[in-house]
Amino acid sequence: MILTPKIIVRLVLIGVLGVLLQLSFFSQVAVFHTSPDVLPALVVCLGLLGGSMTGAVSGFAIGFLLDCLLIQPLGGGSLVLLTVGYLAGLFRERFEIHTSLVPPLLCMVLTLFAELSFGAVELMLGLDGSVSPLVIRQMLIQSAFAFVLGWPIYLGIKRALRPALVEEPVRPPRPRRPTVLGA
Amino acid sequence: MYRKQVRRRRALLALLIIGSFALLTITYSRGSNGIQRGVSTIFSPIQSAGDRALKPARDLVNWFDETFDAKGENSKLHTELEAARKEAVGAQAALDENQQLRKLLELDEGGAIPSGYDPVTGRVIARSPTVWFSDVTLDVGSGDGVAVNDPVVNGDGLVGTVSAVTNGSSVVMLIVDHSSAVSAKVVPKGVQGVVRPSVGDPSDLILDFIDSTKAVHADLAVVTAGWQAQGLSSKFPPNIPIGEITEAGIVEQEAQQQVHLRPYADLANLDLVQVLTGGSR
Repeated sequence: MILTPKIIVRLVLIGVLGVLLQLSFFSQVAVFHTSPDVLPALVVCLGLLGGSMTGAVSGFAIGFLLDCLLIQPLGGGSLVLLTVGYLAGLFRERFEIHTSLVPPLLCMVLTLFAELSFGAVELMLGLDGSVSPLVIRQMLIQSAFAFVLGWPIYLGIKRALRPALVEEPVRPPRPRRPTVLGA
Repeated sequence: MYRKQVRRRRALLALLIIGSFALLTITYSRGSNGIQRGVSTIFSPIQSAGDRALKPARDLVNWFDETFDAKGENSKLHTELEAARKEAVGAQAALDENQQLRKLLELDEGGAIPSGYDPVTGRVIARSPTVWFSDVTLDVGSGDGVAVNDPVVNGDGLVGTVSAVTNGSSVVMLIVDHSSAVSAKVVPKGVQGVVRPSVGDPSDLILDFIDSTKAVHADLAVVTAGWQAQGLSSKFPPNIPIGEITEAGIVEQEAQQQVHLRPYADLANLDLVQVLTGGSR
């Protein structure tokens, strides 16, 4: 990704809009008794499009804004989302896999990872009270939501950041060999 | 050149990770800081406007969910049930209190929410996205008289307490948050305990520290205890409905009962709530 001041402004707007939409919309709707968490998916898409450093910085900033707005312990959200963004970027840099299934699958896997990491951070900082087994169900449903929402989020961000993206070379279609019948 | 770039990237990553841990350390040593309050103050009007604008879309999604789950209820019956339940719980609590007061030959006034509190109505404008935190943000803050530790209720019962306040918004820690603990009593039995959450399941609470010799069974109501002793007092006023016992059983080899209850307030779908300000904390 080529980072120009205009692109940085767009990245900031995407992050702010994502956090506000998450808090005001996605967290307040319930499908199958679970609210979707689109922020890990958003960070995954930024990491996939911009690489590990863009993913890590975006994740840190989005996590920081989330913790600020919810007046939660600062740093927990940043740590988890920066890891998610870094891993997504690393995937793009290490593996040359360019199928349309990559964004939703990665969103699904890394959302589950993010939810587990949020739990780990909470355990690390002292989790009071018992944990219901329903947590696992909620995390799995959130991952399924991330799979569904991953592709539209990826396309939306790709469109918004198009001027900064290095296009993959498109392979020309292989010429057809003439058949015996000459068709 | 390439090595320099790699080194720079590693340094940035290390800086971000160290920054995260530093923020965690600072927050835990000093509590919520000015940066959070500043950011929250700037964004709360935007959140409030966004919340109002997105309400129809949210309602639509929630409507689909409720229809799918066959949760559609007759609103009139629901309202009547709420009113009847509040009356019943309030009456039971009042009777219990009355009996105790008669015994002690003291006179006092009782009710669901005692006098001296000034309720401030607020709307939920944001909610924590992860399953590990159970916080909601309200569009009322210290400018409206809201203070930290104020109890929060809705039409059904207890919702939580205010955990942080800015001028125009406040954060409410719900009773299903892992760090929540509410002293409560079972009515009409008067058995006291502490209501703790079952993290990840907003429809289940656990009433701890109940003596196994006390007979407690399903369908009994649980209200806030609202104790006062030696200058200290509970954050919650007495007799606010919390929930209804769904299951009570003695834990083997323990002298305590584990009582499960279902909160009256639908904590997954909060909209309008009341902050009880000005109470004696």
